[in-house]
Amino acid sequence: MTRFKELDPILHSQLRLAVISLLVGTEVAEFTYIREQTGATAGNLSIQITKLKEAGYIEVTKKFRNNYPLTLCSITKLGREKFTEYVKDLRDYLSPEKPE
Amino acid sequence: MENEEKMMTGEESLRIITEMINRTKVNIRQGSFHLLLWGWLLTFCSLSDWLLARFTSFAHPYYVWYLIIPGAFVSMIYGFVTGRKAKVHTYADMLYMWTWIGFFITSTVLFIVQAKSMESVAPYILLLAGLPTFLSGFIIKFKPLITGGICFWVIALLVHFAGPALAPLGTPVAMLIGYLIPGYMLKNRVDHDKV
Repeated sequence: MTRFKELDPILHSQLRLAVISLLVGTEVAEFTYIREQTGATAGNLSIQITKLKEAGYIEVTKKFRNNYPLTLCSITKLGREKFTEYVKDLRDYLSPEKPE
Repeated sequence: MENEEKMMTGEESLRIITEMINRTKVNIRQGSFHLLLWGWLLTFCSLSDWLLARFTSFAHPYYVWYLIIPGAFVSMIYGFVTGRKAKVHTYADMLYMWTWIGFFITSTVLFIVQAKSMESVAPYILLLAGLPTFLSGFIIKFKPLITGGICFWVIALLVHFAGPALAPLGTPVAMLIGYLIPGYMLKNRVDHDKV
């Protein structure tokens, strides 16, 4: 029987995976942009971003633009490595090598 | 995406990854402004240079090319302002921006080095301009720009062999095919996407 490596629980969640997948192709993205693209509510997105940040997968910077708070997110080196690993594990899971 | 801990199948994970990555792939926000600005500015400069040289006794018709300096400022200010307003900076955006900044620096150096023989610079500028135009077409997945880049290279060759009478007309033709047509097509696409 083929044994599968367990998928990273931090990434194996709809919204967190969507956030990381968005950030993989960007240098930096605003919180509002991520909310628009994922269609998530601000509260839910905020919780998931905090979880990704605590895991060290993303970096969150708070700034001000025209006196309004601005939250910027970017993926870290660890986040990129974990995402690559997740995609590899997912590929193995979806098309496992047949045992000889 | 409301249920943050909802269990996903492998296929669902793959679908989310593909969908999100595709959203950050192509961004044509700024593209048309710079193409139209430079397309019209360089067409004006090259035609004025040619008309002044051919029909007037003005000793320095190439002075019109100094309009490139305010053009560069307008381009930089527009890029800076829209860049600051942008909610996201994709790697494609950065690649697009640095490709054109690289071209701008190379052209500036060429103008300085060749300042005494401005009339012979045109084929080199066209040759150089072909590269960022061609690459930008690939970055934003826009074929008219790829075609425009190839036309720049072909016209650079034609200008080199055309002789002094026809060579000055190479730049306006290149601007039309390489910048203005793709620029207006891109603008229409962006306007259409906004509706």
